[in-house]
Amino acid sequence: MQKFRDLDSGRKELSTLKARSFFIFIAIGLIFSIFFYQLIELMVLNNSNYITQSDKNRIDTVPIYPARGLIYDSEGNLIVENVVSQDLVLTSPQIQNPGKVIKEIKNSLNLNFIENSLLENINEIKGKKAGQLVLARDLNEMQIAKFQVEKSKWPEVNIKPSLKRFVLDDNLYSHLVGYLGPVTKEEIQDRDEFKYPMDYLTGKSGIEKSYEHFLRGSVGYKSIETDVYGNEIREISKKPPKRPEDLYLSINNGLQSLAREELNERKGAVIGLESSTGLIRVLVSSPDFNPNLFNRTSKGSIATILTDANSPLFNRAISGNYPPASTLKPFIGLLALESEVIDQNYIVNDKGEFQIEGKGRKYRGWKEGGHGEVNLKKAIAVSSDVFFYELATSLTIDKISHFLSSFGFGSPTKIDLEEESDANLPNRNWKLGAIGESWFVGDTVNLGIGQGYITITPLQLAVATSLIINKGIAYQPRVVERVGNLNTTKEIINNIEIQDIANWDLILDSMKAVTNSWYGTAYNLSQFGKTKIAGKTGTAQIKSLTEETLSVREEYEGIRESISNRDHALFVGYGPIEDPKIVIVVIVENGESGSSVAAPIAQRLIDKYMEKQDE
Amino acid sequence: MSSPLDYQLNSSLSRSKDSFISDPVLFGSIILLLSFGLIALYSASGQDLSMLYKQASYVIFGIILMLFISKIQERYYRPFLINFFWIGLLLLIWVLLFPAQGYNTDRWIDLGFFGFQPSEIVRLTLPLAAAYHLTRKDRQPDLIDWIVVLFFIFLSSFLIFKQPDLGTSIIVFISGFLPVFLSGFPLSIIFGGLLLIGAASPFIWMSLSDYMKGRIFTFIDPNADPLGAGWNITQSKTAIGSGGIFGKGYLNGTQSQLDFLPESHSDFIFSVISEEFGLIGVGVLFILYGIILYRVFQISFNATSQFTRVCSASLGFIFLVYLTINVCMVSGILPIVGVPLPLVSQGGTSIVVHLMAFGFILSLKRGETW
Repeated sequence: MQKFRDLDSGRKELSTLKARSFFIFIAIGLIFSIFFYQLIELMVLNNSNYITQSDKNRIDTVPIYPARGLIYDSEGNLIVENVVSQDLVLTSPQIQNPGKVIKEIKNSLNLNFIENSLLENINEIKGKKAGQLVLARDLNEMQIAKFQVEKSKWPEVNIKPSLKRFVLDDNLYSHLVGYLGPVTKEEIQDRDEFKYPMDYLTGKSGIEKSYEHFLRGSVGYKSIETDVYGNEIREISKKPPKRPEDLYLSINNGLQSLAREELNERKGAVIGLESSTGLIRVLVSSPDFNPNLFNRTSKGSIATILTDANSPLFNRAISGNYPPASTLKPFIGLLALESEVIDQNYIVNDKGEFQIEGKGRKYRGWKEGGHGEVNLKKAIAVSSDVFFYELATSLTIDKISHFLSSFGFGSPTKIDLEEESDANLPNRNWKLGAIGESWFVGDTVNLGIGQGYITITPLQLAVATSLIINKGIAYQPRVVERVGNLNTTKEIINNIEIQDIANWDLILDSMKAVTNSWYGTAYNLSQFGKTKIAGKTGTAQIKSLTEETLSVREEYEGIRESISNRDHALFVGYGPIEDPKIVIVVIVENGESGSSVAAPIAQRLIDKYMEKQDE
Repeated sequence: MSSPLDYQLNSSLSRSKDSFISDPVLFGSIILLLSFGLIALYSASGQDLSMLYKQASYVIFGIILMLFISKIQERYYRPFLINFFWIGLLLLIWVLLFPAQGYNTDRWIDLGFFGFQPSEIVRLTLPLAAAYHLTRKDRQPDLIDWIVVLFFIFLSSFLIFKQPDLGTSIIVFISGFLPVFLSGFPLSIIFGGLLLIGAASPFIWMSLSDYMKGRIFTFIDPNADPLGAGWNITQSKTAIGSGGIFGKGYLNGTQSQLDFLPESHSDFIFSVISEEFGLIGVGVLFILYGIILYRVFQISFNATSQFTRVCSASLGFIFLVYLTINVCMVSGILPIVGVPLPLVSQGGTSIVVHLMAFGFILSLKRGETW
């Protein structure tokens, strides 16, 4: 009975409570109906959009870069390989305070990078899902261990392996293989078929640069699932990269080492060209450098290389400009024969000096008193200057310049290396433009013995000489013999037809006389050489002998005092005589004597080359 | 009036009241929901077992507390409800005066071994105390009763608002106002009050802190800054939407497992459930919530004591309000105000207090004779 006591008031309270509860239910129900509508819209109507969105969140397509192609020498010995480096990379596009993270890591791991330049690059990866920034390369074991201990502090930072370039023989192939450096903004923009990442290393010189296209291979792609920090969780799909082809150089390790030994850190260059193929078998420029310093695979200072007054980075074999000196004489001789200015029996009485039309300035020969009566063959063999002064005067600059250009002088040989020089083949217009003077006959006289305005690169001299050996054909020189299994093609760059083919043999005979007749300037070679070779010596004057009143010897005494004023020693040779295979050009800067300094190097290289052939 | 069938029904009901648990269906649903929550939490925490164990120990502690309270007869604690409220109110003042170190806002009391938020205590003791105060006489409350109760409601929510914690402040206000509304507070005053709030809203806006304003702006246009403040909502909607009807599968939610979804274990656990279990999982979740709410309001509407009615209905509505705000907030209908999904989200105090509330409801049912 008791519970019915206040039935009325109880009923009223209950109905109020129910009515108001109902009101609240309606209100919340309204909100809930909006919610349910939203739920259907999200989960059913727009489901596929949101799936796309969530996939876009987690799935990244990241490029995979293949390992750079390897480089071998002609015998299949490895020259350049890839070694693993452990790098510290920042991966997160969401990183809130990169400056702080970078600073912490720098202090903790004792790294020495520049924070500000990194911070500039961070903006480029921010917001990009797969963006990553290399903070430091090649961590040592201590740093790796330390990072592993503390890495939970920086979820955005990871250690990732990358490949570094390592040249096995350090300096031996320095100018040939070159080195890598950070990709430049221009390169990134240039190459659309190969998307370089910001931290990529591209070839900066040598083969690494000229064969960049082959060595880098082609990019593959993989889809990966990442977390919000950009860390890879798993791989979804993959298109593997195309492994680049390895390069096989035509360079012979034995010849290369020998040439380097022979130059013995003197400034100079050696180049050896197979005349029938255009393949370079030896290419040394001295002084050289260790490419691994640039590749960051050896410890050492790059600064000392960059500031060295002897420019070790400079590839003298293809970029050095030298007066050809007497090595030009066979070409002038050939022109004289061809132009019928002389024949093989034409004789000049060399008294040691020459005057244009018998008056005016006296042009001296290298030998006081002269060589007496000389024909073309003897003039080349004894290197009579007077003989060629006279020829040049008769030939005129226009003819000489035109003829020499058909041998490739004054233009690049298109060797497969970067930074080849044109050197200088002068003519009237050139002098007017470059010097601002008209051409004098005296200039032609100097040109006749390869002095004056003309310069050549050792490579040009080798190619031009191969053209004589091949009797009219020169092949484009190249240092890469094979790309993968494919041989590089032999291409003709210069093709000359002369009126009398017998003239080739006359010139070749004259060059044989240089080394094989008792009066030849390089007769010394026949004393020790195993293989009979032919060639031409040259002694390039850096200081011209202008003072008429001084005798040759007197002038020399003064000039010789400073090493850098001493003559360059040149020699171009080929061998073996019966069946010429290889042309060697040797230049020893300030070496003074072509016959005693440069020529023996060529002889030894040809001997070595023949040894290899016989094996 | 009493047919044999009625008798049977009544006796079975009265037997249930004498048994260990006064409402086994309610209790069972709560246990199921808690289990569901722990399963979801394991996934949402990135399979963090230590977080799961911690949450599980809170759940067990909460269940013990709930059972303990449910065994106490209403008449033993009813006179003390006001005092419980005073304690909560003092703690609220305490955290404002002596903020605990290491927290962004002044919400916490650090007891060393665990921290708790006094606002959570107030949101339980305030409606209980209000319900007691308003139903202690056998007639409609007097004007002075309304005024006193309203004063303390405003005071409590203001103190929490100052912490600052907009979400809980609103919840506490609602939880205090529910018993007032349900006890028959004159509608004319309510409408008058609403008009007043409408007029005062520009001033309220000015008094909001920047962080609160920021949240409201973000709510209005989450895409304006998708990597900044809008990130949470965008990622949450992506998680829910990509779940579809069947979900991506347990532990396979990419949004949550790969950390794209922030706070996935606490406020945004509903997004994880949606992503991994899909619409079906959400359906199961709402069925459990539905059963719990149905049983609570069944107790309220069948009760003979006005205190029981107001108390159960208020506590039920508070539970519903939590649920509504949380799911609306994570699905982008309401601004992000930091309200957890009741009994599911990670957070010890929240779960324990919800379970205590159910303890009171179970205890109130024990006192009923229907």
